[in-house]
Amino acid sequence: MSTAQSLHQSRKRKNAVMMTLCVTAAGIGLAWLALILGALLYKGLSGVSPAVFTEMTPPPGDAGGLLNAIYGSIIMTIIGIVVGTPIGVLAGTYMAEYGRFSRLTTIVRFINDILLSAPSIIIGLFVYELLVRPMGHFSAIAGAVALSILVIPVVVRTTEDMLNLVPNALREAGTAIGAPRWVVIRSVAYRAALSGIVTGILLAIARISGETAPLLFTALNNQFWSSNLNAPMASLPVTIFQFALSPYEEWQQLAWTGALIITLTVLGLSIIARSLTGRREDR
Amino acid sequence: MKPMLSADLNAPETTVEKAKIEVKNLNFYYGQSKALKDINLSLPERSVTAFIGPSGCGKSTLLRVLNRIYELYPKQSAEGQVLLDGKNILDRSQDLNLLRTKIGMVFQKPTPFPMSIYENIAFGVRLYEKISKAEMDSRVEQALKRAALWNEVKDKLNASGLSLSGGQQQRLCIARTVAVKPEVILLDEPASALDPLSTAKIEELIDELQADYTIVIVTHNMQQAARVSRQTAFMYLGELVEFDRTEKIFTSPREKRTQDYITGRFG
Repeated sequence: MSTAQSLHQSRKRKNAVMMTLCVTAAGIGLAWLALILGALLYKGLSGVSPAVFTEMTPPPGDAGGLLNAIYGSIIMTIIGIVVGTPIGVLAGTYMAEYGRFSRLTTIVRFINDILLSAPSIIIGLFVYELLVRPMGHFSAIAGAVALSILVIPVVVRTTEDMLNLVPNALREAGTAIGAPRWVVIRSVAYRAALSGIVTGILLAIARISGETAPLLFTALNNQFWSSNLNAPMASLPVTIFQFALSPYEEWQQLAWTGALIITLTVLGLSIIARSLTGRREDR
Repeated sequence: MKPMLSADLNAPETTVEKAKIEVKNLNFYYGQSKALKDINLSLPERSVTAFIGPSGCGKSTLLRVLNRIYELYPKQSAEGQVLLDGKNILDRSQDLNLLRTKIGMVFQKPTPFPMSIYENIAFGVRLYEKISKAEMDSRVEQALKRAALWNEVKDKLNASGLSLSGGQQQRLCIARTVAVKPEVILLDEPASALDPLSTAKIEELIDELQADYTIVIVTHNMQQAARVSRQTAFMYLGELVEFDRTEKIFTSPREKRTQDYITGRFG
């Protein structure tokens, strides 16, 4: 009886120690996140005004906004997604459907995983050599291409994973009713995996909207309004990079505000992505 | 459909039955391993045939050869002949999608498509027929009535097929199969995931459907085979051990192995 009791006591003690360690570790992780968000909100919010969204980036010492940077970010992100998504979805479809049992799929998956974790600065350098040097100048197009190369592996991965979650029984059922392969994929498999695939695309948007390095080498930056895709274009991350390092107070303030805008956008996209997958699991 | 039923009931017992499907010298391989060994049998038209046997005996494999669904996977191959109305469906020239519109299949687990109840049925019909909205509506209604599901779903045809109960989902799958007007319906343990009440409904349905369709059912449940089928094939280790009228198999089987299995001595 007393041994059982002392065993119980010692287990309780061990449990308390382990739990304290785990909670502390989780707390430390979350604390940084909270500090970053807090600092962003504190420093960024004070700079939020209509001017941020209506005026161009100012010369040093002047007041201004981030309109051209926001516009550039949106344009290059859209082009990157529009170019990268179809390639990613189709490649993922090949891997999960047509090439499910093929050796090529194993190879492509391996290469895709490498691409997925490749430092984005390398993608930037790659596109620099591929487009910027031959063209002789930086351009928004080169920036968009760099972003689309970042999009592809994310979308390939989620598309393949989500299609693999569709039960084979559903494919068999579609086939058994006389539907050709591509109809089964389009009308049955895609439909069952839709929210997952959309989540992957949203995550890809979240990822590229904060990328700085690949744009530094490709789209560079632009102090002025430019909608010319063949010319350098401003973007939020590069503008933040440049302004945050500057000695001018107005620029630093704009950098904080820009950082807040990006963070909130990414946060919003992640929440939407989360709720989409959540709903899929409920079903 | 009605006159057909009465004609069938009035038909004399001694009518020579026309074979709908004839399996001749069929061998089947998963990679190197042989799963079906020299199967020969003939399935009569408009009647229910049951395949019984212990797990792994090849009964589902045999069923999956009949609509060539096994070809979805690599390294599975069949040799021999399967004649549907005298034409070998294992032939290279056979159009697989057309074959599957003639030979429908319902699976163990209900597999409604991720779309509305209406669309679940219209989907298959639309693949091969261009018909008006009104015709499609009546087609969907007929199919659901045939599967004894109409009364339960007629007010919510736009609800997701996934919102139905398991038994209803399985009847939806039967309705979906019937809607494309097949000649043969393959049932792969259609009631093994269902509760007794839903099972009874499915069995009742099978009984009604045999007036118009040639039905093949794979089942683990011997009572079910005895209740719904006219012929029963007993399979063991990839061989067809015995194939006869169901009463014969369950009352006076020729083979000792059949006797042992149906009396529960193994399996």
